[in-house]
Amino acid sequence: MSLPRLHRPSRLGFASHWSAVIFAALVLGGCVNATVDEMTYNEPAAGIGESSVVILGRRHAPDYDTEFDFIECIGDHIHSGDPSIEVINELAFINELYPWFEPRTAPMQPRAIDQLLQLPPVAQRFTEMKLEYMIWIDGNTVDTESTGSMSCGIGPGFAGCFGFGTWGTESEYEATIWDFTDKVEVGRVSAATSGQNYMPAVIVPIPIIAPVQGTACDSLGDQLLEYLSAHH
Amino acid sequence: MILGPDSIGLGRRVVLLCLVLLIAGCSSKQVIVEGNFPEPLLDPLPITMGVIYPPAFAQHEFFDEAKGRADSDWLVKTGEAQVAFWDILLGGLFQEVVHIDSWATAQAEGGRLDGVLIPSIAELQYTVPTHTNVKVYEIWMRYEFRLVDIAAIHQQEDGALSFNPDDRLAEWPITAYGKTPTAFLQSDEEAVNLAAVVALRDAGAHFITTFGRTPGVATWLDGLSPRQASGETVSGEASAATPKPTAGAAPGTGANEAREQDTPQDSASAPAASVAIDSASMPAPHSADAPATNDPADSVNAVAEQASSTVQGEPAGATPEAAGFNEQGGTR
Repeated sequence: MSLPRLHRPSRLGFASHWSAVIFAALVLGGCVNATVDEMTYNEPAAGIGESSVVILGRRHAPDYDTEFDFIECIGDHIHSGDPSIEVINELAFINELYPWFEPRTAPMQPRAIDQLLQLPPVAQRFTEMKLEYMIWIDGNTVDTESTGSMSCGIGPGFAGCFGFGTWGTESEYEATIWDFTDKVEVGRVSAATSGQNYMPAVIVPIPIIAPVQGTACDSLGDQLLEYLSAHH
Repeated sequence: MILGPDSIGLGRRVVLLCLVLLIAGCSSKQVIVEGNFPEPLLDPLPITMGVIYPPAFAQHEFFDEAKGRADSDWLVKTGEAQVAFWDILLGGLFQEVVHIDSWATAQAEGGRLDGVLIPSIAELQYTVPTHTNVKVYEIWMRYEFRLVDIAAIHQQEDGALSFNPDDRLAEWPITAYGKTPTAFLQSDEEAVNLAAVVALRDAGAHFITTFGRTPGVATWLDGLSPRQASGETVSGEASAATPKPTAGAAPGTGANEAREQDTPQDSASAPAASVAIDSASMPAPHSADAPATNDPADSVNAVAEQASSTVQGEPAGATPEAAGFNEQGGTR
């Protein structure tokens, strides 16, 4: 009769261990610090109407590229926040305007757009797109210092890991807003986020990833949405 | 503990798996570059251009042998992608492009050609993160473009086409750089392919934005304008209303225009009397044909250069020295 009782504390211990790990994952996984700076002018009080916006990543630096999926994330964030805002897909835009938005040829200053508009096919394409704002995003996400150790082994009928690792992740992005009609810069928004990731391993490694890039996307997206939308 | 037959079989499988993983880690990696290339957005020049893709160009590949146990042999075939890309690019830049793949074609189509373009790859270098400890895959290429008159094309005894280098109209280098950062679940092969596609796109952008400003080409274009106005070309496109070919060629707006006017690296050796187009080796370019840094061919480019001079220059990683390119990863 007492045998089941002996097993019960063991199962509870195992369950409580996993509960603690999951709880730690939920708590530690949310630890991201974010700093957002904004400086904008000439906000469109009535929104951008039927005009469109394109969000482009800078990729001329030697050691990093602004990630395509980050640009897509911001575009999705803006469009989901205000479905009336049409955000042109970055890759489609770059391909349609090849070779004028390659890293080598992309305009670095708003006044350089005037040079592009001297080309009739380019000017015509811009007119068709009803482009009102061009937003350039520059920055990236990197993993920083890591510590800890983990050992994994495999044998007949057994495989597993044991140990603990932790590493940091940092994001730093700056969005520059160009007014396409007036060919001037009308604002800059920057977001710097950082967080710590953990990976404890008791047989199975459990990654507890801080959503650093996602937080940067939300932070920048919120600020840009506030600028572009009449409803925010 | 005594191992049963099942355990022994499992152990053998594990050992076999380890061996397979070990061998896979040391095996060669092969990439056949492929991608979707966009058409350039510009008004085509009113020119009928012949193009010869030498076999060394159309079947271009480079091989880099592993230098250590942790390394892999690399074989990257770019030839098919080169032809596909330049076909689209030249087709968008010129009103008509005629492929010259034989002496018969040269004779049949030669009369209506304004010029013949012959591209070649002079150098290709690459890096992968295992070479540099930088989380970026890079490819750097140096092309040599030669523009010749159709009259300069000859047939060799073996049937191959060749041209007299003294008869060339222009010869100029085009550099191209492509990089892609490491990404989760992206294989080395996928990353190198992506870097190659970026490099090809960069080559096209460089070609378009400098074509009209290359001194030899600019002189040739100036010579074409009156000829086309008088209706000399067989294509019959030229008329009094035909715009000057350089007008819509290339307003550079970007970061690297001002600094990308490369000078040929080797102007010392004299060119051979006749150059076989099939040959992978090239004559040394004339220094006089090198694009000049401050020689914009038209006012549009001049303004564009002025506008871009205030921004950052070419990425530091665009040069092999700066990026730590592997010197042994040359052309094959």
